[in-house]
Amino acid sequence: MQNILEIKEIKKTFYKNRIPFPAVDGISFAMERGECLGLVGESGCGKSTTARIITHLTPPDEGSVLLDGEETRYLKGRAERELYRKVQMVFQSPQDSFDPRRTLGDGIMEGMRNRGMSRTQAKERLYELLWQVELEQEFACRCPHEVSGGQCQRAAIARALAPDPELLICDEATSALDVTVQAQIVGLLRKLQRERGLSLLLISHDLALVQTLCDRVLVMYQGKIVEQGTPDQVIRHPKEDYTRMLVDSVF
Amino acid sequence: MAPLLDVQQVEISYHGKAVVRDVSFQLEPGEILGIVGESGSGKSTLIKAAMGLLDSGGAVTGGHIYYKGNHVVDAGPEELRRMRGPAMGMIFQHTEASLCPVRSIGDQLYESVSQHEQVSREEVRRRALELFGHMRLKDGDRILNSYPFELSGGMNQRVGIMMAMILKPDLLFADEPTSALDVTVQAQVIREMMKMRDLYGTGIVIVTHNIGVVEYMADKVAVMYQGRLVEYGETASVIRHPEQEYTKKLIGAVLRVNRG
Repeated sequence: MQNILEIKEIKKTFYKNRIPFPAVDGISFAMERGECLGLVGESGCGKSTTARIITHLTPPDEGSVLLDGEETRYLKGRAERELYRKVQMVFQSPQDSFDPRRTLGDGIMEGMRNRGMSRTQAKERLYELLWQVELEQEFACRCPHEVSGGQCQRAAIARALAPDPELLICDEATSALDVTVQAQIVGLLRKLQRERGLSLLLISHDLALVQTLCDRVLVMYQGKIVEQGTPDQVIRHPKEDYTRMLVDSVF
Repeated sequence: MAPLLDVQQVEISYHGKAVVRDVSFQLEPGEILGIVGESGSGKSTLIKAAMGLLDSGGAVTGGHIYYKGNHVVDAGPEELRRMRGPAMGMIFQHTEASLCPVRSIGDQLYESVSQHEQVSREEVRRRALELFGHMRLKDGDRILNSYPFELSGGMNQRVGIMMAMILKPDLLFADEPTSALDVTVQAQVIREMMKMRDLYGTGIVIVTHNIGVVEYMADKVAVMYQGRLVEYGETASVIRHPEQEYTKKLIGAVLRVNRG
């Protein structure tokens, strides 16, 4: 089976006051189509930078990112837009990821309109998407501050699904939500993965969540992948000191 | 002897609309109470009321809150000022918002400690560094010389926890103290709070959405839903045998690490 994503030796160093800080320090991994891969580690370990490199929001210093077997690093124009279609992201704070002065419907349709869809088509698709994420149609007319965190995160997922992506990256997508709401979002992600064969990269610090959803997990520490395996393997028999500490810290 | 904290049928309203209704519980010295519930259920409002820190437009409109038998709700500003710190401490969810942005952490810390006791700067520094050490914060001196915006969210949070602990309050309120922290740091902070209880008999009220934390540290748990206390009792029995529909749903939604 072909890998949806393959990352080889990517590196990214940030500089603060000329002091180098290697955020991502030579990591490689591959993801199969339809797989749910978890990426765990503490803040500052390079998880989000990795996501930003995959989505072309941050250029890597070195290494290559292959999407569907195709090098993405130097994509421009039409090809880059196609990459933006294939890879979508859901962020941690849903309210911040929508324009506060525009409705959720506008936010979800913006990308579709930019890709040349007519207003009528986009509207139709919008209602279909809202149905998929189990939101009533009236939510299209609400602003981000008029809905709850969970509802807003559903809308963000609808927006990410709009261009029919192949890879969905969730960066701490449920950590700002109440547990009961988190359980609903987890159920939704599972359903989408099953029904659409979506590949899911789940960035989280919540081991329980990763164990519930993911087929495989990577543990990152100080810019490197220190351990990988199935969640059960990693949680029950951690090999590295850092992983052991992480597992022991969960109440 | 009067309990450390006695909350009796409290009703709290914002702009005339009751957001917390008929809540009662008691806390003894050295006891830890966990308050759980979804956002908007009135958890934070309740502990803000006990600290006399309700936002404008909010007021306790019914019932009583006593600290060691003394009325908190009717206490004047001077009396409250004396109590906040050595008697009742609070850890806020967003410490950065509770600190002054244009003064260094060290200055603010010294100011708050010197309001309550005769103490030298060196002594405050020494105590702060010791607490930082317990929370896995290296470089304590650099932090004391920094401004809040120069620190990360997790560092600021630990500054807030240190500032609440340094005066060794008898009663500590903690509003989602560890939600912004990594799990490894969270574990350390929680252990530090437990140690404080064991060493000084501090009574702790912790508001959190992390049921695991509550299970680990709380003696009793209060479940809030839509402004009411729907379930209250020993932690183990509430978590194992929840009685109310909402509590069942809440406990059922918690994901747990399966260690096999």
